[in-house]
Amino acid sequence: MATTTAAVTLTSDLLSDNMSVSASTTCMKAGTTADGLDQMEYGYLDLPTGDEYDLIATTPTATKASKLYLKNHSTDETYYIAITQNTQAIGRLYGGDWMFIPADFHDSDGDIAITANGGTNKICYALFHEGTALLAT
Amino acid sequence: MATTTATITLSSTDLLSDELALSTTATLTAAGTSTGVVGTSGLGRKKLASGHAQYVLFDGDQYANGAHKLYLKNASTTAAEFFTIEINSEQMGKLYAGDWCFFPWEANADTNDIKIDPSADNMVLEYMLFIDE
Repeated sequence: MATTTAAVTLTSDLLSDNMSVSASTTCMKAGTTADGLDQMEYGYLDLPTGDEYDLIATTPTATKASKLYLKNHSTDETYYIAITQNTQAIGRLYGGDWMFIPADFHDSDGDIAITANGGTNKICYALFHEGTALLAT
Repeated sequence: MATTTATITLSSTDLLSDELALSTTATLTAAGTSTGVVGTSGLGRKKLASGHAQYVLFDGDQYANGAHKLYLKNASTTAAEFFTIEINSEQMGKLYAGDWCFFPWEANADTNDIKIDPSADNMVLEYMLFIDE
């Protein structure tokens, strides 16, 4: 079984007491502790302004437990990537921000789409999954 | 200025032929600036009682459009139990037992609520919202 671990640490001095929250999970196939996600795709690319692009099309299917990591590597803090799913705005990843979400791609419209703003953004992404459908030639 | 950071580490020694070791840290700032976020919900823990149904965790019309960040963790230890996460009516994904997620939330419309739907009774969710005020 492939073992992939995703850990997060959040720290802040916003509150009267310093905060440090940590969590770690092993990325498993949906609903099991016996078998880890065993496939991935990984990329680093320039994202030009002007159009919305599908970062991940809906090939992993519902009931599965894909995990998506995405980081905006832009160094200009005013640049951002608008993240949408099926036209629903999720949020904006500004330069330096990252996100990690479960993505079950529940229907054919559930693509994760991205749009660059401010200028060409540089992004890095990784999708951990348990199966995608390759397009026939 | 308050400093809030979020660090992710993705690692695997056997998924690929080469070791995967990715780690990065983001400093959470207000939209389009280098000024740190100044608000947080604090770390919360919610037990969703019997008669499970969909709940609004954060209401879009209570927050201005901004670079909010949301952390969620499913504290269940039963592998098959999950929270379905929705924004407005769009299903993002399912957070299985032990899993966590962290993502930007724009709250750019009153309807852009963060909704959670537990798959079983008495599931426990941990959550924290960092607010761009």
